[in-house]
Amino acid sequence: MDHEARRRLEEYRRKGAGPFENALIDDYSAGAIDRRELMRRAGLLGISVPAIGLVLRAFGEPAPAFGAARAAATGSRIRVGIIPPPSGAIEPSTISDLGGLQTIGIAGEFLARATQSKTLLPELATSWKTNKSATVWTFKLRPNVTFQSGQPLTSADVVATWQRLATTGSAALSAIGGYVTPDGIVAVDDLTVAFHLETPVSNFPYLVSSTTYQGIILPASYQTGTFVSKPQTTGAFQLAAYTPGVSATYNRYAGWWGGTAPLAGVDVTYYTAAAAADAALLGGDVDLLGQVQLATDRALFNNGSVKIFSARGSTHREVPIRVDENNPFHDYRVRQAVALTLNRPQIVKTLFNDLAEVGNDSPFAPIFGLARSVPQRKQNIRQAKQLLEAAGHAKGFSAKLVTEQLGEIPELAQIIQSSVKQIGIDLSLSILSVDAYYAGTQTGPPKGWGDTPWLNAEIDITDYGSRAVPNVFLTSALETKGVWNAAHYSNKKFDAAVKSFLGAATFDDQDKYAVTLQKILLHDTPVIFPYFYYYLAAGTPSVSGYSADAVGQLYLSKTSLT
Amino acid sequence: MARFLLKRLALALVTLVLVSVLVFAVAQVLPGNVGRNVLGGFATPAAVAQLNHQLGVDRPLWTQYWSWVSNFAQGNLGTSLEYRVPVWSLLQASLVNSLKLAAVAFVLVVPLSIIGGVFAALRRGRLADRVITLTGLSLTAIPEFVSAIVLILVFGLALRVLPVDATAPPGAGFLTQVKYLLLPAAALTLVLFGYIARMARAGTIEALDSDYTRTAYLKGLRTHTVIRRHVLRNSLLPTIAVIATQMGYLIGGLVVIEKLFNYNGIGQRIYTAAQNKDFTMLQSSVLVIAIVYLTASLIADLIYSLLNPRIRYGGTS
Repeated sequence: MDHEARRRLEEYRRKGAGPFENALIDDYSAGAIDRRELMRRAGLLGISVPAIGLVLRAFGEPAPAFGAARAAATGSRIRVGIIPPPSGAIEPSTISDLGGLQTIGIAGEFLARATQSKTLLPELATSWKTNKSATVWTFKLRPNVTFQSGQPLTSADVVATWQRLATTGSAALSAIGGYVTPDGIVAVDDLTVAFHLETPVSNFPYLVSSTTYQGIILPASYQTGTFVSKPQTTGAFQLAAYTPGVSATYNRYAGWWGGTAPLAGVDVTYYTAAAAADAALLGGDVDLLGQVQLATDRALFNNGSVKIFSARGSTHREVPIRVDENNPFHDYRVRQAVALTLNRPQIVKTLFNDLAEVGNDSPFAPIFGLARSVPQRKQNIRQAKQLLEAAGHAKGFSAKLVTEQLGEIPELAQIIQSSVKQIGIDLSLSILSVDAYYAGTQTGPPKGWGDTPWLNAEIDITDYGSRAVPNVFLTSALETKGVWNAAHYSNKKFDAAVKSFLGAATFDDQDKYAVTLQKILLHDTPVIFPYFYYYLAAGTPSVSGYSADAVGQLYLSKTSLT
Repeated sequence: MARFLLKRLALALVTLVLVSVLVFAVAQVLPGNVGRNVLGGFATPAAVAQLNHQLGVDRPLWTQYWSWVSNFAQGNLGTSLEYRVPVWSLLQASLVNSLKLAAVAFVLVVPLSIIGGVFAALRRGRLADRVITLTGLSLTAIPEFVSAIVLILVFGLALRVLPVDATAPPGAGFLTQVKYLLLPAAALTLVLFGYIARMARAGTIEALDSDYTRTAYLKGLRTHTVIRRHVLRNSLLPTIAVIATQMGYLIGGLVVIEKLFNYNGIGQRIYTAAQNKDFTMLQSSVLVIAIVYLTASLIADLIYSLLNPRIRYGGTS
């Protein structure tokens, strides 16, 4: 064993590591977990890549290789297609759509960046640790970082940014709401920030990483509405021009703390039609498309001149079934029967050409590695018929599924319709435009769920973006008071288990509570999770150094054109 | 002539007022709440109400209409509810783009269609006539998005001789810009050729069969002189009217073409504004198109009157 590495590890354990890190290191040193498991659990607990590297080196293992800087500076500009364009004004705190997050993400940086391998790379924070109860998280900031205005980054900027995001009206509240308030975010010194949480959260660093895409660090002096009018981020590229719905231009920022980005700039064109974006890529008018889907961009798949970039993630569709109405779905056996009719491997093959993973009717996507000991729910028509008969609906019944015209969702709706027909359920489909589906009020509990179709239909299908940790899927979509609880599900045992899961200090504890949650959800089946699909982007073979991101971030600081 | 012009201008003004009332009314019946749309589904009702108040969309309809239309008359097109920037700052580029595309399409389709129609009339009943008439009719029957996709596949992707994106890079020269616009303009030419050529053919046949043409021949004039001086001058009158009516479509109605070629034209702006309930953008864009359309009609009337003295001098045509 390398003595110097061991000494540094001990120093880290004394000064830098919190209780989660130390528990994990103990497990690894005792041989209870292997290297792969160490990295996976470290990812789930929000432990940074350098910290994992330190542990591995101390035990004679090579450190993980992430984000190695590329030396080549080609000076080319990359042409990127973003579909669809950002909706509304470009304002980081209120961005909630893919076009918007990609537009701000090219120029902006976060405290930490989530990677494909479920680990956190330090970005504007170099390290972080928590107290024993996981209620105070302290972040050390990177020194010598300057905003594109030339002003140095200090803790005051991070505090101001996150206080803004923790305030009413911020779209980031879906991730951090209930955990942290503006008063709980304080500067410890010029380069240290502490987040005092309302409740323990063991994977909090993820919530302030690139997965909460509003969390781009801006100067304390930032004024709302000025994001596009002057460069004021810290990233490798500065936004030079922006025309809503048409284009955006970014130039390389010479003062970037990471050195010189290989690309001289980024020219973004916004597309509203997938056909036009595909033709632009195939015709050589763009080098990279920020997002593609099998359902709408088939021309790009199995095409030798197109490189598909994929990232496993937790992007999924939820099929909530109202549990509180006076209809057959009120009986959990009926909901189980519906879930048992689905041939999930076939669905994944048909809709995604296997670029997806089957779901087990819980938000624990395979990438999380949680609750894997619980058997996967499989198609079983005979059992489904028996359940329906036991519930007193042997002859079936009629119901209406409401959903949105988005991606492969209409096809999934048809598959569900034909699947449940096998057990006598006559499901009619109402496929609305995305606008109509999300229209109306949705103020959330305790006032109910408003009148919006997506939170009030007896059964529906809703799109959910990827998250690095399952917190928001558990709290917002399934807890009794969840604002996105479209099933109107309420189970005290479930709520208590969620609370325990969020505050669990070790991976084993997290997994224990995840198993409990998984079993409750399989029994109650308030929501069907048929699959979790990969995030896909497409580019020409000349694009290198780019990795797709599960959330959809366009991180181009290490990208080049060969 | 001045009286004729004044009369046309007065009519145009009345039309504009009617269009403004109509588009304002239509925008009001679009479903959705502006504040809710801007702030998103999770905003509190109080925040939505506050934004609606800030944007002025909670005022009485008449006040909103008058505020918009009086500002428009003074050159202030308002602020986009979606992007929070002046409407004109976005509309200007879209309008210029639409005019450029319309100009390229116009330059392609008008001479081609008139030459085709006149040639078919002169070869009436013969093979050339049949080919031109049937081809034109067939092309008109093909939806523009179909012909556009075929053009993209052939010239953009297979032969790679023309760009599939209609927007030229910033700072591109005149010829480069024309090159980028060739494919969408060609798609429009295919759609409009049959219609305009048929009108030109019909007008030419009518003129060829008229007494004044027979008299011109009897006077001993040569064929090309008869066609140039007597036939074309009269046969093109209805064609000019038809071309003028297509200007509104060419400038504001090309949503599908603009989407397929990812072109920032005014059609796409209107479509997006309607989708996102950006009423200010929607209303002002439609009114701008109405002005362009009425201007084109006025120009057509002027050309018409120059070619037809009976109009100029207040007679009946």
